[in-house]
Amino acid sequence: MSSWFRRGFWQRDAAAGVVDQPVIRLLLPVAGIAVFFALSWTTVFLFQPRDPKRFFLGYALLLLVAAALVYRALWPIERIEDALGLVCDLLLQLLACLTMWNAFYSVLWGFSGSLIYDLFNDAALCHRERLIRSYEGDGELDRILARRLPNLVRGGWIDRRDRTLRLRPKGAVMAIGTLASFKVFSLGMGGGVK
Amino acid sequence: MLLRLALVLIALFASQAVLVALVSALRRRGNVYVTIVGVACLTAPLAAFADRLLFGRPLDPDGRLFLALTHLALGGFLFHFMTLPDRSVTLRILVELLLAPDRALSLGDLTARYGVRTMIGSRLDQLQDGRCVTIAADGAIALLPRGRSFGRAVTAGRRMFRITSAN
Repeated sequence: MSSWFRRGFWQRDAAAGVVDQPVIRLLLPVAGIAVFFALSWTTVFLFQPRDPKRFFLGYALLLLVAAALVYRALWPIERIEDALGLVCDLLLQLLACLTMWNAFYSVLWGFSGSLIYDLFNDAALCHRERLIRSYEGDGELDRILARRLPNLVRGGWIDRRDRTLRLRPKGAVMAIGTLASFKVFSLGMGGGVK
Repeated sequence: MLLRLALVLIALFASQAVLVALVSALRRRGNVYVTIVGVACLTAPLAAFADRLLFGRPLDPDGRLFLALTHLALGGFLFHFMTLPDRSVTLRILVELLLAPDRALSLGDLTARYGVRTMIGSRLDQLQDGRCVTIAADGAIALLPRGRSFGRAVTAGRRMFRITSAN
């Protein structure tokens, strides 16, 4: 099957104007990305998992393995160019999966996306103070912290006793890495605040 | 061959990260994402023609194309990496705790340093800079065409994935 692909159909045929091999090889991640989107959408739409990123990660890894197997079946690794083509395909596929994943969390589920969603769908919130009050709420925690603090405690990043939060060693490592990124890339204090 | 490839990937990624850090240090008010895209695109042709340096021999045109695309993909990963420290509320909370005495803060102190008022104020300013909204002196917010398109896209995306509660 694979040799038929290589010799009969996929080989370059300049006279017939058939697309070049590198372009054909780049169609592999396109297929992977389409399958990733279909699987992710189906999972989130039908099953509404509490933590979709576990599924996204699983699908992305499985599709990477599948892409590597298909690539090696169609284009055996004989030259450095073949190996580079495989790495390129895998990186492009992973990048596109990560982009979809990030868009899902940052735009659809994230803070700025939520702000614009509220402004677009609720005219009463189109005022700075009213918008801020809607996020502050009436409880002990505002809408932003109420979602994040329980996850940080559950994940072992921080401890929470009564109204005091304390950084745990695992959280300190992450915080030091983040602080280093602030300095190295001149990001100010991050957190979406300029 | 695998080791050589791994070293090439590390070199390509590291060179872009160093360039982005240098440019960001020189343009402190610049947008880091624009810097990353600029560095990746401007250096991709250099990567394509650094084949002899990276592999010890010239690559054929296909190999050069893959090398340039690999370089661009690594720039994409740097872009995604940057969203973590730059945008993440969770990571900022961890940093505030790290910088606090005894690495501990009361809820009140945390919200005084990095609270919802600061976060929303800053993001609204960014939406205004991005020409998505205008904010009048009395605090009234009006969506501009770009903001309406953004709002429509987020609403459609949430409906598509049946997201009912967020942020």
